[in-house]
Amino acid sequence: MTPTPTDPTPTDPTPARSTPADPTPADPTPVDPTPVDPTSPKPTPARPTPVVPLPAKPLPREPIRPFTLFAALKLRLIGGNLRGAVDRKLGFVFTLLAALFVATVSFLSLLALRLAPPDVAADLGTVLFTAFLIGWAVVPLLAFGLDDTLDPARLSLFPLTTRQLAIGLFASSATGAWPLTTLIALFGALAGLARSLPAALTGLVAVPLMFALCLVTSRLVTTALSGLLRSRRGRDLLAVAAIALVLLFQLPNIIVNRGLDDPAALLRGAAGFLRWTPPGMTAEAISTGNPLWLLPVALTVAVVGYLWIKVLGRALVTPDSSTQAAASVRASSGLLDRLLPDGPLAAVVYKEVRYLRRDPRFRVSWLVAVVVTGALAFSMSGDGAGPALVIGLSILGAIMIGAQLSNLFGIDGRSLWMNAVVFAQERDFRTDIRGRHLAAALIALPLLAALALAIGLFTGNPAAVLPALLTAWGVLGLALGAGAITSTLIPYTVPERMNAFTGAAPGQGGQAFLGSMGSMMAVVLLALPLALPVVLGFHWLAALMLPYGLAATLLGQHLAAKLARLRLPEILAAVSRPT
Amino acid sequence: MTEAAVRTHALLKRFGPQMAVAGVDLVVPAGSFAGLVGPNGAGKTTTLSMITGLLRPDGGAAEVAGYNVWADPVQVKARIGVLPEGLRLFERLSGRELLIYNGRLRGLPRAEVQRRAEELLHVMGLSDAADKLVVDYSTGMRKKIGLAAALLHNPAVLFLDEPFEGVDPVSANTLTEVLRRYTASGSTVVFSSHVMDLVERLCDWVSVMSGGHIVAQGTLDDVRAGRTLNQAFLDLVGGPSGTDGDGLSWLGAPQ
Repeated sequence: MTPTPTDPTPTDPTPARSTPADPTPADPTPVDPTPVDPTSPKPTPARPTPVVPLPAKPLPREPIRPFTLFAALKLRLIGGNLRGAVDRKLGFVFTLLAALFVATVSFLSLLALRLAPPDVAADLGTVLFTAFLIGWAVVPLLAFGLDDTLDPARLSLFPLTTRQLAIGLFASSATGAWPLTTLIALFGALAGLARSLPAALTGLVAVPLMFALCLVTSRLVTTALSGLLRSRRGRDLLAVAAIALVLLFQLPNIIVNRGLDDPAALLRGAAGFLRWTPPGMTAEAISTGNPLWLLPVALTVAVVGYLWIKVLGRALVTPDSSTQAAASVRASSGLLDRLLPDGPLAAVVYKEVRYLRRDPRFRVSWLVAVVVTGALAFSMSGDGAGPALVIGLSILGAIMIGAQLSNLFGIDGRSLWMNAVVFAQERDFRTDIRGRHLAAALIALPLLAALALAIGLFTGNPAAVLPALLTAWGVLGLALGAGAITSTLIPYTVPERMNAFTGAAPGQGGQAFLGSMGSMMAVVLLALPLALPVVLGFHWLAALMLPYGLAATLLGQHLAAKLARLRLPEILAAVSRPT
Repeated sequence: MTEAAVRTHALLKRFGPQMAVAGVDLVVPAGSFAGLVGPNGAGKTTTLSMITGLLRPDGGAAEVAGYNVWADPVQVKARIGVLPEGLRLFERLSGRELLIYNGRLRGLPRAEVQRRAEELLHVMGLSDAADKLVVDYSTGMRKKIGLAAALLHNPAVLFLDEPFEGVDPVSANTLTEVLRRYTASGSTVVFSSHVMDLVERLCDWVSVMSGGHIVAQGTLDDVRAGRTLNQAFLDLVGGPSGTDGDGLSWLGAPQ
């Protein structure tokens, strides 16, 4: 089906493979794994004699070695990514250090399984191997687009057979810091779990098999979803789904804090079930030293690999869903829009409210703030939770929501020019910031009220709800004021497509950190003199928080408008970076 | 043609070691349909960004309708409409919402904005897509909605950066019709392009940029001086000397 590496004169597959430019999705077998046209190589006798003398026989073609070729391509891409920009070099060094750290820690902690009793070690190994596989299936989805070799559509015009493409993409995803980290961690597990020579020998087969399973599964998932990921709606959907992941990270926290009765029983139960999944069987094979467990795993690798190749073949000739007809939105005019006097302020609120509703980046960041606060409330509300907890957590919620507003112009991004060609005076900028604040408050104020009420009732402190609510609103006011200033002083580009790991355009991570941390620090410092006494029991002081916060908001708007008028081109450039 | 709609003096912009715009003296007479042409990287986009107040120049001055862009932005911004390169629009608004937002942001009354928006949507052939999000628009639709947004407040001078790039012939025809009507009433259009046929067909005033400088400027007939605009452009900018020679001997040979 494909030229073997030893074949000295492979037939030229180019003419038969040159059709993907005109994909015909109706064709039931669009990518033929045997692409060589029976009539090729075509004789071309009718050509006129060229001016320049040519070698008489066709050029010998080197057989393609997809594994080394694509591994080299991946390394070259990593290298090319580093040329020039210092911040990208720093980012790469950071990635390497992080990978090294994770590899060392996971190797050592998996090695430490030797110290555990054999049955506990086996159970832990089963759970950990499953976690590895889930990680490999989920993380590349969220980071899709970070890696140029991942999108097979870019390779579809090259004369590669599906098998070569599959081997190549497999090689490229096996090359890199994180795959290597996984491999090291798996060898750590081998050292930790194997308690006999047969177990160690079985492990030497099991580890590469597990590694292959992770890669193939990850490839299958990304390829199957790549059409979805390339469409706008699919990415919107996935961005919101990322919240589930955030919640997942909170889960251990919740379980530990709620003081689950018997963690050992939980582990035993989970392992008892997971033992029958392919990653569980791999761990089982290592801990028992019984290679028979590996047979179903190998079968799974083969089946998943086969499915992946099939899906890949189909994905290359299927138009992505971004070409499908788009749905209309409701042409509604909001209530607030009708209440506000006609003018630029109403226009800004009009736009912002629609963005809050439609842009997944807003939904993600707001939901994360609520989910994290809710999870903390749930896990910390044990016995003896007093009013201080209610007020403290409400303040935390306000700070987290306020932190989303420390880069007001970032989500507008490259479209901010539409405002920039209109705004000329300080008043224009103040109107813009005020409109954004108004739209945000429209959601944040009821949200914080609901949060305070929920925490108060949940912990049995209904009397603390009102001070908590007022303090939270006041802190939000401080956050709006501080955020307006950081928005103009330290603006940065928010990537079009959000994922759980990047909050800023490449190279602007520092600004993003400084902006959100700076505004958060300012809020904490400003809030302390009033909020701390409220937390400590002087609830009546909460009444002062609201005017305090409002004053801070107005002052922030005023100063930010002054700065924004002077810094408009710089803000525009900072939020328009390519992502 | 005594009054200039746009005039720059020694406009300058440097990006690191590279001089993107090296002292540009651009003149566009009021009421003209002006083309700013030049090869890729000539500095067209940078120049237009500085004239429209989106990019701070490192030196020189720019005037629109007699007002200095950087000293008197209030007067300038009220008089210009802009369609920048790259179709950057508020993607999560529908086409209609985008127009309404733009008009109201400029302080036009809501009823008037709605009336103008409907007319523009109709003329641009976007009525059916008016309630779809801009993020789902095609390139031609984006250019059209962008032009509609730039025209909504009836500016005196319109700046368009590559308005016809990636636009199908039908949409391009709509765009040119609207622009012709607009200039017929005495307003000024400045647009950048590297499609010479189009510039030759539409413009009565041409400025040629190359390497950050204006290398020729004047009425269309002055600049082309009896040649086609394409030939005049190649003569001014200095194209390659042809493709004959030793290279590419394998190209077109039997495999």
